[in-house]
Amino acid sequence: MSEMNLENVKAQMRKGVLEFCILSILSRGDAYASDIIKRLKESKLIVVEGTLYPLLSRQKNAGLLSYRWEESTQGPPRKYYALTDKGNEFLKELNSSWSELVEAVKSIYNK
Amino acid sequence: MKKTLTINVAGSVFNIDEDAYYRLKEYLEKIKVHFSGEKEIDDIMTDIESRIAELLREKINSGKQVIILQDIEEIIKIMGEPHDFGDFDKEEKKKTYYHSASRHIYRDPDNRILGGVCGGLGAYMGIDPIIPRIIFIVAFFGFGFGLLIYLILWIIIPEAKTTAQKIEMRGDPVNVSNIGSFVKEEFENIKDNIKGKKKT
Repeated sequence: MSEMNLENVKAQMRKGVLEFCILSILSRGDAYASDIIKRLKESKLIVVEGTLYPLLSRQKNAGLLSYRWEESTQGPPRKYYALTDKGNEFLKELNSSWSELVEAVKSIYNK
Repeated sequence: MKKTLTINVAGSVFNIDEDAYYRLKEYLEKIKVHFSGEKEIDDIMTDIESRIAELLREKINSGKQVIILQDIEEIIKIMGEPHDFGDFDKEEKKKTYYHSASRHIYRDPDNRILGGVCGGLGAYMGIDPIIPRIIFIVAFFGFGFGLLIYLILWIIIPEAKTTAQKIEMRGDPVNVSNIGSFVKEEFENIKDNIKGKKKT
């Protein structure tokens, strides 16, 4: 049971951070799903790729992201995701609350 | 020698071995069940299929033109099984959703002599279809209206076409694990049929 809770807490933590990171990645420029995946995998934030797609769709539906189809030299058109104005505002909020969180955790952890 | 199928994944055409095809199909059905009830299911499926198409393209080169089972297993490992997706909003909702699936009456296309009415009735009532068959035959010869009732039932009862409908016909709740085992079962049947045909 305690193991279950640990997994639960870990996953909850990762999920919030993951949404934050998707927005951060997109704030540096539009990207298509595979680009985002590559970045998240490099930083070991996701283990399986399936995790990303429901998050992208929900963020899109919440108006944080938009997408467009773009022709690709390799294969069919790709779906490029971009941050909306609302997404930008959202990310700013998250940025400041992230720094607050890090400071808070640090101050408790180091005592 | 193996039989291959041609499939269209997110607008790209692939030649794929039959066993690999069923594995991929089972996997996609599992994902669909996992996200059923979500507003964004179509978007999610489009994104996942596009990504799978991309991964499939990487498996193809001039020396290797066909997707094999091993390729699909590798792709599934990259994409992950639905229970590893780790979306928490769904956890609670999912359970209630699956168990609300109830038993429906369908005609059974896999267990039929004429229209599958008796096969479906048998599955619905959890009895051997031979029992309704005998009743219909007796009603036909004894009273003369058996055929009419049969024809009416044939018209009004829909045929179980999808895997989910076949599971509902048996009265099992539709969920990720039994849709997986059901597709596998169907695939085994097809395999047996093919083997049987080869022998004769």
